[in-house]
Amino acid sequence: MALIELRDVTKSYRRDQNEIAVLSGVTISIPEGDFLALMGPSGSGKSTLLNLLAGIDRPTRGTVRVADTDIGALAERALAAWRARHIGFIFQLYNLIPVLTAFENVELPLLLTNLSKKQRRDHVMTALGIVGLTDREKHYPRQLSGGQEQRVAIARAIVTDPMLLLADEPTGDLDAKSAGEILTLLQQLNGEYRKTIVMVTHDPHAAERASHVLHLEKGTLVEQASLAR
Amino acid sequence: MKFAGLILKSARRSKRRTALTVLSVAIAVFLFAALRAVLDGFDAVAEASSATRLVTIRSTSMIFNMPTSHGETIKSIPGVTDITWANWFGGIYKDPKNFFGQFGVDAESYLRMYPEIIVTPEVKRAFLEDRTGALVGEGLVKKFGWKVGDRVVIQPGIPLYGTQDYTFTIRGVYKSGGSNVDNQTFLFHWKYLDERSLQKGEVGWFVTQLADPGRAPQIIAAIDQKFANSPYETKTDTEKAFSASFASMLGNLNLLLGSVALAVVITTLFVAGNTMAMSVRERTTEIAVMRTLGYPARTIFLLVVGEGLMVAVAGGAVGALLARLVINAEYLGMAGGFIPQFGVNNWNVVVGLGLSALIGVLAAMIPATMAGRLKIVDALRRVA
Repeated sequence: MALIELRDVTKSYRRDQNEIAVLSGVTISIPEGDFLALMGPSGSGKSTLLNLLAGIDRPTRGTVRVADTDIGALAERALAAWRARHIGFIFQLYNLIPVLTAFENVELPLLLTNLSKKQRRDHVMTALGIVGLTDREKHYPRQLSGGQEQRVAIARAIVTDPMLLLADEPTGDLDAKSAGEILTLLQQLNGEYRKTIVMVTHDPHAAERASHVLHLEKGTLVEQASLAR
Repeated sequence: MKFAGLILKSARRSKRRTALTVLSVAIAVFLFAALRAVLDGFDAVAEASSATRLVTIRSTSMIFNMPTSHGETIKSIPGVTDITWANWFGGIYKDPKNFFGQFGVDAESYLRMYPEIIVTPEVKRAFLEDRTGALVGEGLVKKFGWKVGDRVVIQPGIPLYGTQDYTFTIRGVYKSGGSNVDNQTFLFHWKYLDERSLQKGEVGWFVTQLADPGRAPQIIAAIDQKFANSPYETKTDTEKAFSASFASMLGNLNLLLGSVALAVVITTLFVAGNTMAMSVRERTTEIAVMRTLGYPARTIFLLVVGEGLMVAVAGGAVGALLARLVINAEYLGMAGGFIPQFGVNNWNVVVGLGLSALIGVLAAMIPATMAGRLKIVDALRRVA
């Protein structure tokens, strides 16, 4: 069953008097539990597609349905609530809040819920346990390595137990060893915890860890490959 | 409450900048409280002034005298039960910087009509029996280290009272029993002054006691009517109005001090607003990340306003506390002086804190709106 359905999605931006098309008529169906890698050169529309799936951007035309919700039709406030409940987002540059500890960074999405302090603590420690950083809960981002920062960012993405994880070049700023560990963690989240993952990457080695790869070029889908794990 | 920690940590992000903002708000609230203390002090003097006493001065100005015979005329007006008079001496004790009020008074009637000047019967007798005696406030005694029996030499400050020094003997110390009487005044006998005056039988002002304060308007009119078209026309008012007009001789204090306070508050508002805007601008990515995590625009707006509020109220608390500690008559050595009740009251502390909260909210309003309206994709792209 498809978790994500994109139908004839077009996204364009206006710059001065010109309309620049970033995505043109993209149609994709992504099943629940999939681990999809989106590849393509810079400017091909990968990140834009990811932003549309996350509900932080809206298509110019077409529909984006995630778990039977047409997210393009949601109002801003409803869309924010939907993101908080269903989406975990992993950034290339981790984007942790520097003045918060690892624990507080992971707790950030839970402050929007009605969970008690103890429940929030339990959830945070579970998420940190999954990424193997329970002993770093009181560390600030500046006290962590790049790989550890990205693992905290992953814990923040999974702490609300979302159905969909979106990763924008999650290994783009890491050395090969750390990148390998992050990809293993994503595979674990996909395999053991049945998280559907869409990952944007430039790196063919990273894409190999996914179960499917989609190639975008100049805003259109050009190739689809299925990879055997 | 669960967001309080987040707000606090955000405020502590740049400790120096936050400390400077706190300081600027603290200074604004401190100045506001100080200016309010001055105005309240003047108001307290006016409020505490008697409603049953009238003050009569020359219509041209308080600095001109009038004949003592005016007193008999005023006393004959129905409704007047007592009368006393006084002159401003304006002398210099050792140095012009040692300023304090020196009044030549008709001692017996003055003490009778001012029960707020508290003296023992022995002190009163000793003062009345000595023509060159002086009765001084306890504040002055403390200030100059005087004691009963000391001889004090004062140089006349007004040519009318001659050029030779006046020598007084301190016969007693009085306490102030009300806000309208300070404890830093030097009272001596009008007769002693009149003997040495170049123009005999002249009085600076009369104070009239009324049987019924409700008849004050009629009696005021009657007094001034008696001397209309004479060489010594008078201007009579209630003691309260007189105190208020005395304060207004310094100019429109309310307007003057109010304008200063407003200028300080507006300047602080701009400083705090600019700081908040800078702080929010630096956090564009973080705000975009929080929005991506599902934080609604309204929550982001409230977090920024909450931060502004927290920083400003912290400054307000510091300013109000400092004002409360420093701006009081005892600490400043002004106890019982020209403004006997000089200090920051609870109400002004509350108003100061409210003002700081207002500064915080207003200063954060524009940055908070900017943060709430941030387009996530644009913000993420800007720093990517």
